[in-house]
Amino acid sequence: MKRHYACDIVVVGAGPAGLSAAQAAAEKNLDVVVVDANSHPGGQYYMQPLGAGSVFARSAQVMRGKTRIRGATAAGVKMLLATEVWGAVPGFVLHARDADDAVCIESKVVIAATGAHDRVQAFPGWTLPGVMTPGAAQRLAKTSSVPPGRRTVLAGSGPFLLPVAGAILKAGGTLVEVVEAQSSLLSTLPLLAAHPNKWLETMRLLFPVLAARTRLRFGEVVVAASGEKRVREVELAPLDAEGQPDFARRRVVPDIDSLLVGFGFQPQIELTAVLGCRHHFDEEAGGWCCTVEKDCGATDTSGVFAAGEVCGVNGAVPAALSGRIAGLAAAGHILDEETAFERRTLARSLQRARRFARGLNRRFMPPAGLIGRLPDETVICRCEDVTAGEIRETITEGMDTIHGVKLWTRAGMGPCQARTCGWSLARLVAEETGNSMEAIGFSRPRMPLRPVPLNVVRDSLQQVEE
Amino acid sequence: MSRTAEVIVVGAGVVGSAIGAELAVLGHDVMIVEQGMPGAAVSGASLACIGSHMVDMEELPLLAWACEAWRTLDEEVGGFEHNPCGQLRFILNEEDLATARAWIDVERNAGLDVTLLDPAEVLEVEPSLTGPIMAASWSKDDAVVNPFLAVRAFLNRARDCGARLETRCRVDSLIEREGKITGVRCATTDMSAEHIVLASGPWTARLAASLGMNLPVRPRKAQCLATVRIPPSIRRVVGACESDGGVEAGYTQIQQSRNGQVLFNTVLADGCVSDGAPDRIPEVDTAFVRDSVEMLLFLFPDLWSAHLLRSWVRFEAVTPDSRFLIGPLGPEGLWVAAGDCGTGFTRAPAIARLIGQMLGGEHPAFDTTLYEPDRFSCERPAST
Ligand SMILES: Cc1cc2nc3c(=O)[nH]c(=O)nc-3n(C[C@H](O)[C@H](O)[C@H](O)COP(=O)(O)OP(=O)(O)OC[C@H]3O[C@@H](n4cnc5c(N)ncnc54)[C@H](O)[C@@H]3O)c2cc1C
Ligand SMILES: Cc1cc2nc3c(=O)[nH]c(=O)nc-3n(C[C@H](O)[C@H](O)[C@H](O)COP(=O)(O)OP(=O)(O)OC[C@H]3O[C@@H](n4cnc5c(N)ncnc54)[C@H](O)[C@@H]3O)c2cc1C
Repeated sequence: MKRHYACDIVVVGAGPAGLSAAQAAAEKNLDVVVVDANSHPGGQYYMQPLGAGSVFARSAQVMRGKTRIRGATAAGVKMLLATEVWGAVPGFVLHARDADDAVCIESKVVIAATGAHDRVQAFPGWTLPGVMTPGAAQRLAKTSSVPPGRRTVLAGSGPFLLPVAGAILKAGGTLVEVVEAQSSLLSTLPLLAAHPNKWLETMRLLFPVLAARTRLRFGEVVVAASGEKRVREVELAPLDAEGQPDFARRRVVPDIDSLLVGFGFQPQIELTAVLGCRHHFDEEAGGWCCTVEKDCGATDTSGVFAAGEVCGVNGAVPAALSGRIAGLAAAGHILDEETAFERRTLARSLQRARRFARGLNRRFMPPAGLIGRLPDETVICRCEDVTAGEIRETITEGMDTIHGVKLWTRAGMGPCQARTCGWSLARLVAEETGNSMEAIGFSRPRMPLRPVPLNVVRDSLQQVEE
Repeated sequence: MSRTAEVIVVGAGVVGSAIGAELAVLGHDVMIVEQGMPGAAVSGASLACIGSHMVDMEELPLLAWACEAWRTLDEEVGGFEHNPCGQLRFILNEEDLATARAWIDVERNAGLDVTLLDPAEVLEVEPSLTGPIMAASWSKDDAVVNPFLAVRAFLNRARDCGARLETRCRVDSLIEREGKITGVRCATTDMSAEHIVLASGPWTARLAASLGMNLPVRPRKAQCLATVRIPPSIRRVVGACESDGGVEAGYTQIQQSRNGQVLFNTVLADGCVSDGAPDRIPEVDTAFVRDSVEMLLFLFPDLWSAHLLRSWVRFEAVTPDSRFLIGPLGPEGLWVAAGDCGTGFTRAPAIARLIGQMLGGEHPAFDTTLYEPDRFSCERPAST
């Protein structure tokens, strides 16, 4: 079956950025449709629980999300949920699917607010059942009140470990340890001192973890996980003065059934890539980001705007601000109306909020050199079962870019299209060749943005005139 | 590394890599220069069917030899998933049936094992091809290879014989002195050589233009789709039999790769094979996706629930008569091997053989008049 919609503006993503953008544009009396793959609006930050009885149902974050969602709906925004965009054609037609139904949305303007996703780092044992990303565990906890396991180790780097820990505890899980790669949190104090508006949030995030007397460790990284059918233990090693794991001092945490390792996020640039927008590499913002004009969110493809973490990982406040800016600018683009005045104040707030986020990101960069030292037999691309050793071999034969390695090993060619292995692959190639992350490039997304059944494609494209 | 070689091959697609390997095996001092990654242009986007069926009647000797050369390479080197799966060309109407009969006659006379199958026989050869076709031709000896690993195999063979490979190094222009080629100019350095072989796909015309020559090689958009891995469903290369012939008239090609992905494309005659700039790769055309998916599901209706995973676009180099340019070009020491028209993978070993023979002053094994680079009278202006 095929459903068809026409509107002025289609917003892809119903997170803080998408909701703000949609509301801003709808308040200008434009016809706005928001599409999101999830069955509930809210994105990552305002994620809504699936059942009303959830322990998360009344949390402050969920309530604020509800307000946002109501605001957008009240402004007349139409939401297409459980609807995943898989194709985008200039002009614009978005092709999406709701289960086996084809959904086509025609619009004058597209706002990409597709957010970010977990950055996965490979280590020996990372493909074992029970090893997950913190983001996936958080989703499970927040939407379904299910902890990732009975006994969990949460490791990696960055402030995001705190809300994940909080969500797991609230969902009834046990955290054996939380392990942060940075040697202490002292470096964040000057940053916090400069942004007093963040104190309360910091306390709110720290409180549940401290109250549960969770064991916090600093300056260590996961070097291996093992187990037969499922992860049973994890090996951690302290980082030495050079930031390299000191294997001689490694220790084992036994008796676990769940291991979460996260090193921040990377922008989800499939949609903007397929729409031909320019992207740039920004290490502190998560890697390859969609390039936009700061004060209006316009990409270099006419009629395409982008907001939120697709333009760089900066947190929910900047996402919402940049969403509002893009919504206003997109409306102005259609109505031929000047919105610069409204946007200017927003742009200033955005700049301030981003400074804080960038400061945080900079302090929690994933330790360099971990991936370059992985043993040859470590799997890097799990879809195509490609090991670090196979990748090293192609590099010595002259394939010193992501694309080159992909051709000879198939790394990144499987169902996830490098969403999972992209980061590890890039670090490995960069560390082995000594080339910069920018020089080695990235695995360019193409249509479809996500795998889509052929019958849906057929239904979508029937009677399309070129 | 020394910036001098006896022969510089510009381009490490399948053609340049095969030429590099052939020349190195023959004992020449070879350097292969590639602007990006080896095989990342057209060759890495290829379906890489190695076949002589319904390609070009006049070229049958060369095509048959090339298919045999691939088999030999598989035995001697291997590692590129050479799979002698055979090729079916489905037939939908009387007109195409007559066309198929004519091809089969000619090919059988040349000693090739090609037959006509009725729908029941087709089902035996390809059980999941349950769409309503009239008949199919069956070329038993055609094969497929893994395009990436095939390029890798040629490059390894070249390197084993002493050839050097420079990647991410773009040749900006050719250098000529007193009617002789002397080298190439790259962004940061010049390299000198007695012979330069242009195996640069759709970029070949630009390089020739640097010496004022106007080569009739233009880029044409070629597109393809792939599903996620599915259990083995399609055993053969399945193509369309087109009465009009030639890529311009449209084509279909469907096959399942060794790792389980179904690779497919259909371009209709009124099609969307457009010119374009090979430096900026766009997305696939919507009509192309529609036609390809419709044709796949028409032939293999059970695949409706398979998931589409990926699409890609490249620019092939085409010539006015759909044949390669192979041979000497302009100043002494300059050679060209470009202009594939959709079957350059098959031909690569034969092209390499011809270049090896001509460059070494030997008599070429095949009729080279078909491939003369100046057959379209591409003389350059007198001033140079
Ligand atoms: C896994 C994860 C967990 C996070 N948890 C926290 C947290 O606990 N606390 C915190 O402060 N920050 C968290 N963040 C950061 C958070 O993402 C941002 O602060 C904020 O949510 C960004 O807003 P956004 O609107 O840019 O993107 P998001 O909130 O990520 O929203 C993007 C939306 O786009 C949708 N989408 C993307 N592609 C498509 C498509 N092709 N078709 C249809 N829909 C699509 C997604 O389903 C998603 O709902 C998290 C980030 C990630 C990646
Ligand atoms: C979808 C598709 C399906 C196909 N199916 C088949 C098939 O089944 N069977 C078959 O036989 N053929 C098939 N083909 C055609 C076949 O793939 C091509 O004919 C063949 O790959 C051409 O090889 P090439 O080496 O000439 O070109 P390319 O692979 O394009 O190589 C040219 C190389 O030269 C390099 N280069 C160019 N300019 C410069 C410069 N200035 N400096 C340095 N390097 C330079 C380029 O980067 C490139 O790597 C198919 C093609 C496509 C796109």
